[in-house]
Amino acid sequence: MPQVRIVARNFMDMVAALPAAKLDKLYDSSFICEAVLRSLPPLAKKYVLQMLFLDSPLTAKSMEEWVLPDGLSKHKVAIDRLLQLRVFMEVNDRKKEPSYKMNQKFQSNMQKYLTTGGTVPREPMPLNAAVRLPSVGELETYAMEQWECFLLQLINSSQVDKSTSFSSSMMRAFQRGLLNSSRDNEAPRLTENGFQFLLMETNAQLWYIIREYISSAEERGMDPTDLISFLLELSFHTLGEAYSVNTLTEVQRLAIKDLADLGLVKYLQGRKEGLFMPTKLATNLSVSLSDASSRKEGFVVVETNFRMYAYSTSRLHCEILRLFSRIEYQLPNLIVGAITKESLYNAFENGITAEQIVSFLQQNAHPRVAEKMPSVPENVTDQIRLWEADRNRVEMTPSHLYEDFPSKDLFEACCDFARDYGCLLWQDTKKMRLIVKGELHQQMRDFLRGQR
Amino acid sequence: MASAPSKLYQDDVSLVVALLDTNPFFWAAASLPFSEFLHHVIPFINSLLLLNQLNRVVLIATGTSSCGYIFDSGDGNASGNSNAVCSEIIKKLEDFVGKDSKIGKGSNGDGTRPAISSLLSGSLSLALCYIQRIFRSGTRHPQPRILCLQGSPDGPEQYVAVMNSIFSAQRLMIPIDSCIVGAQHSAFLQQASYITGGVYLKPQQLDGLFQFLAAVFATDLHSRNFLRLPKPAGVDFRASCFCHKKTIDMGYVCSVCLSIFCKYHKKCSTCGSEFNQAAPDSTIPDQKH
Repeated sequence: MPQVRIVARNFMDMVAALPAAKLDKLYDSSFICEAVLRSLPPLAKKYVLQMLFLDSPLTAKSMEEWVLPDGLSKHKVAIDRLLQLRVFMEVNDRKKEPSYKMNQKFQSNMQKYLTTGGTVPREPMPLNAAVRLPSVGELETYAMEQWECFLLQLINSSQVDKSTSFSSSMMRAFQRGLLNSSRDNEAPRLTENGFQFLLMETNAQLWYIIREYISSAEERGMDPTDLISFLLELSFHTLGEAYSVNTLTEVQRLAIKDLADLGLVKYLQGRKEGLFMPTKLATNLSVSLSDASSRKEGFVVVETNFRMYAYSTSRLHCEILRLFSRIEYQLPNLIVGAITKESLYNAFENGITAEQIVSFLQQNAHPRVAEKMPSVPENVTDQIRLWEADRNRVEMTPSHLYEDFPSKDLFEACCDFARDYGCLLWQDTKKMRLIVKGELHQQMRDFLRGQR
Repeated sequence: MASAPSKLYQDDVSLVVALLDTNPFFWAAASLPFSEFLHHVIPFINSLLLLNQLNRVVLIATGTSSCGYIFDSGDGNASGNSNAVCSEIIKKLEDFVGKDSKIGKGSNGDGTRPAISSLLSGSLSLALCYIQRIFRSGTRHPQPRILCLQGSPDGPEQYVAVMNSIFSAQRLMIPIDSCIVGAQHSAFLQQASYITGGVYLKPQQLDGLFQFLAAVFATDLHSRNFLRLPKPAGVDFRASCFCHKKTIDMGYVCSVCLSIFCKYHKKCSTCGSEFNQAAPDSTIPDQKH
């Protein structure tokens, strides 16, 4: 079974793929600089901090001396990332040694941040008695509802009570890669990537959707750079404060409606103008730019007898659990199920790996069991992995069988030839048969022709 | 109790508890003025908060007779313009130093004896209590470490208390980093960083203090496995005796509780066990190094 992992489609990869001029323009805003800095791997962040107040470039060799031998691979990854995002620029001095220096605008913005501190992108609206603002708790429930509604619609449009206002072409763009319609009359089925998508964390799913949204932005007449900078700015707003829509540009106003459907902001009608309030999903955006763990409360308890109790009312959770377990009954606040061999085989058929199931269970463990180490009993996790390994009892290697050798010497010569290349898989000296890896076939034929 | 659950976090979330030395007798005579010092420390705090949205920084001031919390970034007002935060820190520091000198004058009568050392043991205890509270607040918490910005010399009378806090930190797996901004090395902090696995550094040029702080002390615990950090040339393992608080190299050790004395005693003052060996004569017994 090919281990195809859905690429988490890191948002930063998309930012890094922008043309150089647009990327430099993005760094005019100090929020984007902050967000980009926070998305870097830890070593890269350290390097940025160290180089922040240095004016002259530093040679690559001297940077390599900063790390221990163990860390060289991480060092390379960090430097590559910094070059990709154009935070570090390569400078060639006369000695032709590569040296790096920081991007001017990035550097000055960050220096300003450190000495004078960050600011908010826009001022919140003063509290107005005429409009009742929802509390933080209400905002959070609103966000979760919207997000789940969207996800349910994504995977199965028939099951949803109210649909979002996304046009069907937008939904199709989101569904591309996640669903495919195998037969025209049937409803579309989830693909392998689709299953893996469902088991990812909310933040990773959110970034995937946003990435698709931005990729299709050009067709709808919105500038992707504007959208990217708006989304990154959004994460720096304060949770629970209302902001006026009049401070947004045209593009941003169009985007707000879509973001409200996803649950990132709540759109309200104020006395004179529209207001929007960012929810927790929005303010967590910059936390999750790289794969960070989500900090939601878990809801699943797995027992050592393979029974599973999920304290949740959400239909989405029920669907996700149905992917790999047998749901027995559903109570008003509890879903009871069991992890069985059949249900797991079903999941494996659909392309889900045991690791994904185990990490889903661990990350969503109920707080009562999350404190215990391990949060999911070992016999359950071991058994899931064993059942997965059941499907891998046979390993296949493409190869060729050679038989009917005219003489023993030729047979021996062929064996040695194959062994020299490390491609000999099996030989039977009595019957003079040889199995060799497929890649060597052409050379083997030439060798045999040469021998005759 | 190991902080294993914190491994579920993205690896570089950290909680830094910084202990600032505010001994006025030291700062009056120091080569770097206190305001300049703050100009290096406050951007350093900002940079720690910049590196990760979930990072937390706590500032504790080490005075001559008391210690106090100055700043806690996890306090609620998350957005806050940093200018306001900066002036708040400065104001709190001024209040603290004023209160501290009043307490110092009060206990010393006329205040003629200058307290040359600051209360390191007190601030280490405050830091450890804060971190313990964080550990008990839930399964997911940042990786904590303590940073001591020390300038005043060590007070030998605090030896026992400081060593106790060092051992508590070691058991909780909290590294203690030390940055010496004074003129002399500190034996206590060398031992602290050595035992707990932290970094000890005495920057040669105090003008570039921010660069030293950013290059060495801003490293989170995960990245420390991969980066080359300064190692001290040697560690000063001298102890202070329990009876007179003098720094000694050789002395008498109680075999039950390992308390150290400079002169022969009949009975151990810590655990009460009696020493029935006869008093030694005046010749120095031969030593094995």
